[in-house]
Amino acid sequence: MLEIKNLHVSIEEDGTEILKGLNLKVGSGEVHAIMGPNGSGKSTLASVLAGKDGYEVTNGTVAFCGDDLLELAADERAREGLFLAFQYPIELPGVSMSNFLKQAVQSVREHQGKEALTSGALLQMMKEKAALVHLDPALKSRSVNEGFSGGEKKRNEIFQLAMLEPKFAILDETDSGLDIDALRIVADGVNHLRSPERSFLLITHYQRLLDYIVPDFVHVLMNGRIVMTGGKELALELEEKGYDWIKDETTQLA
Amino acid sequence: MPSGVEMSMELKEQSRSGEDVFIERFEDLIGPNTNGSESEWTLNRRNAIQVFAQNGFPNKKSESYKYTPVTKWLQSQLKNGMHTAAGSSVQSGNLKNEALPTPLLDESEVRGEPSSLENMKGLHVHATNGLIRGSLSEALPTGLIICSFKQALVDHPKLLSEYLTKAVVLERDPFAALASAFAEDGILIFVPAGLEVEKAIVIHHDALFSNSLIQARLLVVAEEGTKVNVIEHFPFLDAGSSFENRVAEVFAGKGARVDHVLVMERNDQTLFVNSLFVHQDANSFFRTNTVTLGGGLVRHNLNFLPDAEECETHLHGLYVAKGTAHVDNHTLVDHAKPNCFSNEIFKGIVTNQAVGVFNGKVLVRQDAQKTNAYQSSKCIVLDRGARTYAKPELEIYADDVKCSHGATTGELDEDALFYLRARGIHPDAAKLMLLEAFAKDIIGLIDFDEVRNYLYQRLHGLLTVTK
Ligand SMILES: Nc1ncnc2c1ncn2[C@@H]1O[C@H](COP(=O)(O)OP(=O)(O)O)[C@@H](O)[C@H]1O
Ligand SMILES: [Mg+2]
Repeated sequence: MLEIKNLHVSIEEDGTEILKGLNLKVGSGEVHAIMGPNGSGKSTLASVLAGKDGYEVTNGTVAFCGDDLLELAADERAREGLFLAFQYPIELPGVSMSNFLKQAVQSVREHQGKEALTSGALLQMMKEKAALVHLDPALKSRSVNEGFSGGEKKRNEIFQLAMLEPKFAILDETDSGLDIDALRIVADGVNHLRSPERSFLLITHYQRLLDYIVPDFVHVLMNGRIVMTGGKELALELEEKGYDWIKDETTQLA
Repeated sequence: MPSGVEMSMELKEQSRSGEDVFIERFEDLIGPNTNGSESEWTLNRRNAIQVFAQNGFPNKKSESYKYTPVTKWLQSQLKNGMHTAAGSSVQSGNLKNEALPTPLLDESEVRGEPSSLENMKGLHVHATNGLIRGSLSEALPTGLIICSFKQALVDHPKLLSEYLTKAVVLERDPFAALASAFAEDGILIFVPAGLEVEKAIVIHHDALFSNSLIQARLLVVAEEGTKVNVIEHFPFLDAGSSFENRVAEVFAGKGARVDHVLVMERNDQTLFVNSLFVHQDANSFFRTNTVTLGGGLVRHNLNFLPDAEECETHLHGLYVAKGTAHVDNHTLVDHAKPNCFSNEIFKGIVTNQAVGVFNGKVLVRQDAQKTNAYQSSKCIVLDRGARTYAKPELEIYADDVKCSHGATTGELDEDALFYLRARGIHPDAAKLMLLEAFAKDIIGLIDFDEVRNYLYQRLHGLLTVTK
């Protein structure tokens, strides 16, 4: 589904290199977790995959379902079925949730050759998907993320994921800032959305999330590279020992 | 041919200054004061032309027109043969009584398409060159007067002498002085004490003589304890390069509530100077929502004098300047008395080579203790070729007041755009959503569904083609 080869990414503004030859392959229906210390480049990877401006890919390739992902604009990627749940969801005063979802869902559906939903069907879908993450349906008449609590914002991201039914979803620290109940709700939502046609990339700082969403693979991202890959046990090991031992190991290897 | 056009002058000579043209024109119109027994109104007009003659049009040194070259525009229009006396021939009368004959129409009169504001619930008034045309859509509530000044002079002479020109500060602006000198006629709205006018009074300024100078005038007198809504629409007209120099005066009596909406959508060759002077008595409420979606050069001079305690003043404004349009909102809130509240919110969207100017002055005089005065101006610039200038001015002489102001100018928020695009929304649609959301803050403050919906539609159309 997604194959990243030797990806080098710099900040456009000052040329600082953040990703330094990253390789990652995610197959259909797989759930991969990426862990790593703060500042190691996890959000940068998510942003570059989603097509955010301000980054320069200096080397490497990203194939998404066989296409060159990097050739596509951000909105095209989304319509092709790539989804990013933001670490910091943006507030959009004056843009109502319902209009936002309508525009998004219809754009994506139109691109994928699906027929447009009637407003009744769209409403019904919103109701069902909101229930999935225990989001108050009254939120749909509010402005996007405006005045939402931290937890509501995160659940709203998963709600949008559910509405857009992407092939590939990146969750950037969706767990951080959530209490245990909210974490469970989010995890249940994600688990519900797992399917053989849908892959996930879970970016997280803590192992905790992976108790609830059990990944197929765990990768460690440090200094702009995947330095270690393992099964779900790796997350536990990281939780116990931190990241320093990996540093030692990789420097020894180098 | 109606006399308005006969009297018009071809002004192709370049030797005379713009001022002289108007001063001579005035003398032709009024003649010298021979017997000294002129009406107060005429004397006022003479005074106004004197003030205009002393001050002249704004020049390069005029601070308040620094960013807005009205004089240059005006001169080029004069050179191109603008008619300077149009309008005076249009018949008008007191709408209270009966249907009036349709006024003489000149072939150069241009009328706008009926817009959806025509269909809203309200008391509809149609105006050619700022003067009432035809009859009112329906009977008026008892006591409410909507008529021409000329009619008022016959039926209610005291009203005019008590109020007309009394709110205008001639020295403040040469255009207001000029318009006051040429104020031959206009529209009077009088709301007698205690009357709450349920339906909005909707004035459709939907016909103009083309390529003309029009000095339209509106006087709204809302006596004690009244409620009235006045909606003015200046729709798009294919009327060439007209210059509308209009003055509106509003008197809000004790405890009165006056709500005003102005929607400006003229063509891109129009020069439009709108001077609003509002005088407020104790416990009164006044609100204007000045929405500019069209015009070539538009200058709003909005002046507020809450002249007694416990007044509430709201100034809301929205403008979209496209192409080479130039939109300038120039406001003054003059807090003279204690315990008043004013809130000013302006928002603008400027694109292409357009220019947006905001100047907001809040003056809190020494007596005006416990004043709460707030002001905010926000502008989105969509194009590198577009320019904006914002100048908030707070001048405070009282010590126990709460005042704040803020002015921001910037591009559309990149993070917000990215968020929308990351959900599959096309960039143009995403921009449109954000711009509409931005404008909604102001339009949402208008009380009438029909007006809000009309404006949302217009905005959608305007912004959809805006790149
Ligand atoms: N747009 C940007 N401009 C400047 N520096 C950035 C930008 N994005 C990321 N960085 C820097 O890149 C590094 C990696 O950041 P990030 O990808 O957010 O890390 P993580 O998500 O793993 O905590 C950090 O040092 C951060 O300061
Ligand atoms: Mg991060």
